[in-house]
Amino acid sequence: MSFKVPNNLHYTVSHEWVERRDEVIRVGITDFAQDELGDIVFVELPEQGAAFKEGEEIGVIESIKAVSDIYAPVSGEIVTVNETVLNEPEYINDEPYQRGWMIEMVADDDLEHLLTPTEYRG
Amino acid sequence: MTNQFDQTNTEKINNCTGSPFTPHTKADVREMLDTIGSENVEELFDIPESIRFDDRLNITVASEQQVTAQLAQTLTQNSAQTEFLGRGHYSHYVPSIVDHISLRSEFLTSYTQYQPEITQGFLQALFEYQSLLVELTGLNVANCSMYDAATALGEAATLAARVRQVSGSRILVPDYLRTERRAVLENYVIGTNLTVEAFATKNGQTTPEVLDRALDDDVVMVYLENPTTEGVIEEHLDELGSLIEKQDSLFCLGSDLVALSLLQTPASVGADVVVGDASVLGLPTAYGMGLGIFACRDDYIRQVPGRLVGASEDAHGERTFTLTLQTREQHIRRERATSNICTNQAWVALRTAIHAAYLGPSGLISLAKKCHQLPEKVATVLDEIDGISAPIRDCHHFREFKASVESDAHLLADELMADGFAIHALNADVIQICVTEANERHVDDLAQSITEVLE
Amino acid sequence: MQLFNQTIWNDSESDGYEPLLSEKGLIDVEVGETDLPDDLTRDTLQLPKLSEPELARHYTRLSQMNYGIDNGPYPLGSCTMKYNPKFTEDIAALPATAVHPDRDSVSVQGTLEVYSTLQEYLGQIGGMDAVTLQPPAGAAGEFTGILIAESLHESNDESKQRNEVIVPSSAHGTNFASAAMAGYEVVELPADSDGRVDLDALSAAVGDSTAALMLTNPNTLGLFERNIEEIADIVHEAGGLLYYDGANLNALLGRARPGDMGFDIMHYNVHKTFATPHGGGGPGAGPIGVKQELKQFLPTPQVRETDDGYELFEPDQTIGKVHGAMGNWLVLLKAYAYISRLGNEGLRDTSAKAVLNANYLASQLDLEIPFRPFHHEFVASAGEQDAADFAKRMLDYGVHPPTTKWPETVPEALMTEPTEAESKKTLEQLATAFNAVSNEEFEALEQAPNRTSAQRIDQTSAARNPQLSWQHLDE
Repeated sequence: MSFKVPNNLHYTVSHEWVERRDEVIRVGITDFAQDELGDIVFVELPEQGAAFKEGEEIGVIESIKAVSDIYAPVSGEIVTVNETVLNEPEYINDEPYQRGWMIEMVADDDLEHLLTPTEYRG
Repeated sequence: MTNQFDQTNTEKINNCTGSPFTPHTKADVREMLDTIGSENVEELFDIPESIRFDDRLNITVASEQQVTAQLAQTLTQNSAQTEFLGRGHYSHYVPSIVDHISLRSEFLTSYTQYQPEITQGFLQALFEYQSLLVELTGLNVANCSMYDAATALGEAATLAARVRQVSGSRILVPDYLRTERRAVLENYVIGTNLTVEAFATKNGQTTPEVLDRALDDDVVMVYLENPTTEGVIEEHLDELGSLIEKQDSLFCLGSDLVALSLLQTPASVGADVVVGDASVLGLPTAYGMGLGIFACRDDYIRQVPGRLVGASEDAHGERTFTLTLQTREQHIRRERATSNICTNQAWVALRTAIHAAYLGPSGLISLAKKCHQLPEKVATVLDEIDGISAPIRDCHHFREFKASVESDAHLLADELMADGFAIHALNADVIQICVTEANERHVDDLAQSITEVLE
Repeated sequence: MQLFNQTIWNDSESDGYEPLLSEKGLIDVEVGETDLPDDLTRDTLQLPKLSEPELARHYTRLSQMNYGIDNGPYPLGSCTMKYNPKFTEDIAALPATAVHPDRDSVSVQGTLEVYSTLQEYLGQIGGMDAVTLQPPAGAAGEFTGILIAESLHESNDESKQRNEVIVPSSAHGTNFASAAMAGYEVVELPADSDGRVDLDALSAAVGDSTAALMLTNPNTLGLFERNIEEIADIVHEAGGLLYYDGANLNALLGRARPGDMGFDIMHYNVHKTFATPHGGGGPGAGPIGVKQELKQFLPTPQVRETDDGYELFEPDQTIGKVHGAMGNWLVLLKAYAYISRLGNEGLRDTSAKAVLNANYLASQLDLEIPFRPFHHEFVASAGEQDAADFAKRMLDYGVHPPTTKWPETVPEALMTEPTEAESKKTLEQLATAFNAVSNEEFEALEQAPNRTSAQRIDQTSAARNPQLSWQHLDE
């Protein structure tokens, strides 16, 4: 099976994707990650305003039989939490890069050190 | 002891006399070994010589008849006593249907319902048990069992540590809490930074004044009981609940299923978690073997320890039941699980559910009313005896009460034991008496015996 | 081939199969007059009210929609689902067993004798010097054992420094959870390529911060840790203790003892090894055995024999309590009856037949079993098939499936433990079921089961929208 790895995004080794959107960055988990987890039943996301350092745990994502952490791809502050996935986590399975996004942050650093689509595919 | 081992099971297989619970014939074993390609069974064990056990265990085989007779004989050394004992462990009459149904092999010999499609029966019974607890506590979520009241209290404390809203680390418990339960609680909080402190009660009750003084914004959880270990019905729970809520502490209330059938619901007084013993229905006193209640508000649904049964649908669209939210549990979340519990008390929960269903709401209420009325009646009887004053406290009772005696209470208990009665001697001059429908008919005999001893 | 049709009760009046008690007769009863102030009582109680005949039928129907060992084989790896002898139930039902935990020990000498003798039997079987029967389940035993280890380190002024418990990656989830509950950091130990403890990795992992290593032997792949003495030396030289998880003790009964292998602490799962019924999830019992130097830390009270009979006492440096009373007394009594029935020869035969059965069953399977030689259980791989779907399809053949997808060392794991209680013929039926399923198409597996009382259950929506009581069922 091949997984979608959109070319306009940045990636982490822990399977988060990052999208630059003007002042903020948007974060979700990749198509590969959602497939590995299976049907997602619950997501725990941070409070708006919370600040994290790169690599810190910012949330938890649960399927029926697995639990996985979500890590901050870069340091920064949470400005928006996607309420939709809190109530309907199935969007993470169905549309991991669209309606299944999780949080938006104001990043402290740039995204250059993250993986490129080609690197992530590798 | 002579070896009367059933001859049909004594086939010598590799120098090993058989277990009566293995179905193999000698020919089977030979064929199986030939198929595997082994000379004998010993070859199959990949154990280094140095640590093989070559000695014999000093355990003698016995027939079913012998074991049964021997244990029946051993147990006659449990002297026949009419128990007036309580303090958290209670005895009610268990209707016969409980044994007959719960001992059905399909229930008794099944495993945890990890394959829900063939274990719908047990799942539904556990779902009904959870629903019973939801009705009795008024809280939205109940799991399908902890080991006993003490470990359930321990689990409540670790839940409090996980969901705490204050920066502190104190757990407040009343001075009437059984030392055994407190000891278990102390062990359960060992992996947290919580500490346990007792506050004083007045006339056996928690007063808002005392709790208010003890409460601080560093109290993570407050534990109260209703009824208390000493048989007192707490009268200020509403107010106490508000005080606890004001400090953002978790309010954990201990109770049992019979008491909950009559007393104000824990939810109505602001309890966040209810623990206690559910085996007051379903099990006779079994040397303290129990069934831990764990119910809580649905805010904590993902922090609940132990197993939860939920409703779902199957491929035909029919309503079915399944274990759910399993990511909380140790087999998935490992060191981050909400508890280490795996094997629990499911079969006792089945028995409790049957017993409660047998009584129905009217039966539960009348049993509970009886538990409220009996102590007062019995205390009146005992109070008329010279040298005994009962009850000590002017309050509402449930099942039990304390009495003061002029002579040595321990001596009194010892002498009553010789007459076939068991009571609590709490200290030099205080006894505690527990009475339910199970021992009610022996009250006059107890009174007479006490009279004779005190004369 | 054996096929299966589980009884289904299907009531067109209800949403489900057998209606809920609440659907059969929910009534709202007023509490009414009492001499308690109104605000101290509830107003009403809303629960089902059914007659005894109706209840008997309800629960009997539920039992028919439930599968136990007496229905057929139950080869769940690591769970030791063996036959539960009936006579033990009669003993547990003797009126003299119903005693209050606060009874004076003089008046419960029978119970205390059973405790004392069972302690002695378990000590012999495990090669341990002292035993407590207080922990009510295996996980409670693990927690107790780790608290005992902590107390030893505390007595050496090392408890602060020794803050890690090492657990192999393939260990039972309870090991991780119990160590964490006791406040320890859990250090995961990867397995060697042969499925056993990697000695180099272990040597690298142990040190001044090691409190204990928790191991089961044979391990979850059924393999005996042949280097156990070396493992013990490595852990002991680092100042740590060796803890034995008794889940797989059935493989060793009467043939090898954890105490002789260098283990300092162990738990016994009496509901596995000693045939007490699993009861749909419990109650079990998880006694702990320890070596001499750890005796004083055991939970309180302990039982001992004196010249005047049996008495309770508090060990000098006890860890305190892990159960409100003395554990699951009735379960312990059944275990005692079982051990007495078997004796030395029966116990040895149990491990012999358990290991023989696992090896014979394996020899009949067309599936790959990557790790050998195994003892009482083995882990086969479902290969290209999904192990969970594989299990669902097995249900249609009238057998309970093995434990699936664990340990992860084997892809699509089918962890299989037939126990000594299955006959050659039943093992062949089991093998037929395994082999039949392994030859079926993915679709057949995904749509299974079809012969059970419920069809494939949607776990996902159960978790996304939890409905945990009849009060909260969706309209």
